[in-house]
Amino acid sequence: MEAFYQSLNVVLNPSHLMLLVGGVVLGLCVGILPGLGGIVGMTILLPVIYGMDPHNAFALLIGMVAVIPTSDTFPSVMMGIPGSSASQATIMDGYPLARKGEAARALGSAFTASLIGGLIGATVLTLIIPIARPLVLAFGSPELFMLAVLGMSMVGVLSGNQPIKGIIGAGIGLMLGAIGDAPAVTEYRYTFGIDYLMDGVSLVIVGLGLFAFPEIIDLLIKGRPISETAELGKGWLDGVKDTIRHKFIVLRCSIIGVVIGFIPGLGGSVVDWIAYGHIIQTSKDRENFGKGDIRGVIAPESANNAKEGGGLIPTFLFGIPGSGSMAVFLGGLLILGIQPGPSMVTENVDLLYTAIWSLALANIIGAGLALVLSKPITKLTVVPFSYLAPFMILIITFACYQATYSWGDLIALLLVGILGWLMKQFGWPRPAALIGFVLAGNLEQYLFISVQRYGLDWLTRPGVLIMVVIIVASLSASIVYQKKLKTAGQSAVEDIAKK
Amino acid sequence: MARLMTIKNLFSLFLIVWFAYGVWEARNYAFLAKIFPFYISLVLLVFAVISIVIEVRRIVDRADDLHDAASGSDLSVDWDMPMTVVWRRFGTYVGIILGVYVFIYLIGYPLTMSLFILLFYRLIAKAKWVAALVAGCAGFGFLALASHLLGMDWPEGLLALPWPLG
Repeated sequence: MEAFYQSLNVVLNPSHLMLLVGGVVLGLCVGILPGLGGIVGMTILLPVIYGMDPHNAFALLIGMVAVIPTSDTFPSVMMGIPGSSASQATIMDGYPLARKGEAARALGSAFTASLIGGLIGATVLTLIIPIARPLVLAFGSPELFMLAVLGMSMVGVLSGNQPIKGIIGAGIGLMLGAIGDAPAVTEYRYTFGIDYLMDGVSLVIVGLGLFAFPEIIDLLIKGRPISETAELGKGWLDGVKDTIRHKFIVLRCSIIGVVIGFIPGLGGSVVDWIAYGHIIQTSKDRENFGKGDIRGVIAPESANNAKEGGGLIPTFLFGIPGSGSMAVFLGGLLILGIQPGPSMVTENVDLLYTAIWSLALANIIGAGLALVLSKPITKLTVVPFSYLAPFMILIITFACYQATYSWGDLIALLLVGILGWLMKQFGWPRPAALIGFVLAGNLEQYLFISVQRYGLDWLTRPGVLIMVVIIVASLSASIVYQKKLKTAGQSAVEDIAKK
Repeated sequence: MARLMTIKNLFSLFLIVWFAYGVWEARNYAFLAKIFPFYISLVLLVFAVISIVIEVRRIVDRADDLHDAASGSDLSVDWDMPMTVVWRRFGTYVGIILGVYVFIYLIGYPLTMSLFILLFYRLIAKAKWVAALVAGCAGFGFLALASHLLGMDWPEGLLALPWPLG
């Protein structure tokens, strides 16, 4: 408990606060750009945080990741283009509201819902730490390996209509992650004799290549101004009141957000659809969904902010990310020299609480700034994308060159970028690949430690067996209920489309 | 239509080749270096083959849309133009980036990027000369500032220019 309050002191210290606000402002900017979400934002920050004090680096990273689900609402509502994959469901009702001239109401309720959802996420994270502590300490390499495998299988389960594509998508990441020197022995793998590949491909390049490059190219190909109108209309207060009136929806969807964010693997990336599907299924009067029902904005927005709190749990405590942006965050932890896992609940517990306070504070600052600055921000959305694109190309090439300061970085960015673009076109989930890439190193390490230490006996440890049961159960459940699961949100959406 | 089906299937075939290479290459690695990549690529190879069989069966049944809906976790693509145009523009922009790389190699990063922004504004975004100039200078200023404050570096060109030009 003492660490909890001590961390509050750290968070409120001016330099920390400044970095936090810096992260929040960056997060607001990145969220507004369509298609670019927490993954790209955090990846750009990775070269910046080298050598930073972990508490300060946390302020920057968490400040950014906490507000992206808030600010990515702008493109979803104003343009009908998702600001990031976490706000795709917001479009369903947010965009129709904007076309009815009620953009301000949609944004107002979304920001309020985001704020409350984010705070609930931070609270749950606080409560779960003492409970999770003994569990974390009981985990050895074999259990961690199985947990990572569980994470990978959840990627498949949550990949909607084509689980096999989810699993192969994660596999693409694992294969990219296997390039370079082996962790256990001196052996260089899949390098084609190229020196550059001997150290493996950097996370910065994979993150920007898979996510930023395809989005920039796609928006250039489309070639139209981002938004046709910057009219916000009226109804800010109505929006805030709407959210307060539907407080139980906010509460329910926030809890959904935390729980799903907590699932290792891909939970955090589909949470908006699940919340949206939930709210349609539990509402009696559904005829307005898809035409601008405010509840259709509140549900996904409260869930997608709450998921960051949930997603930090497996990331910190087990080193298994809960979503694409958490995968990059995990990479950031390793850059800072912090090994997630048991040490997080013993010697590094102060860092954990710093993260929680930062998360809560960032949500408050982010929602406040989004409300206050919404007018100028909305004006930004009418800037033609071709004005922004060359600067974005500048930023990603510059950031990726910081990986190893060599030409290989630029060439690798282009190649991974083309791979990412093709994956996006053909429906291979890129977040799965990113999670696979980040997990590859840990997964391999856990595996060879298990094999080295226990031989084949590690397979019979009780924790491992329990995990095998969970994996088999969740996979078979997903096959049996595949249609239901896939369509938590989408079937409801299809119903609306039919009407 | 049929041609684009092929491009999509070609990508799936590429995955099969990649994973097969993964198995083949890993077979000779030392034991501890081998277990992970060997078994992963083996499993992936099996999945990739199953996946392409599903794809081909869909084509035979004519049940396949041009694009698969993206899975819930990723953004879905939704083009309001013919795919041939999409592919042509994709090629153009990749070509532009390759051109930029060549210039970085020759005259260094800051100068190339500033000129790139200027020309992009003028030729593709159809901005006025003044706006293009301002944008080019802004790009240059950002680079100088970031490298100065954050100790970041950029690729130098064959043409050795004094900082912050090259």
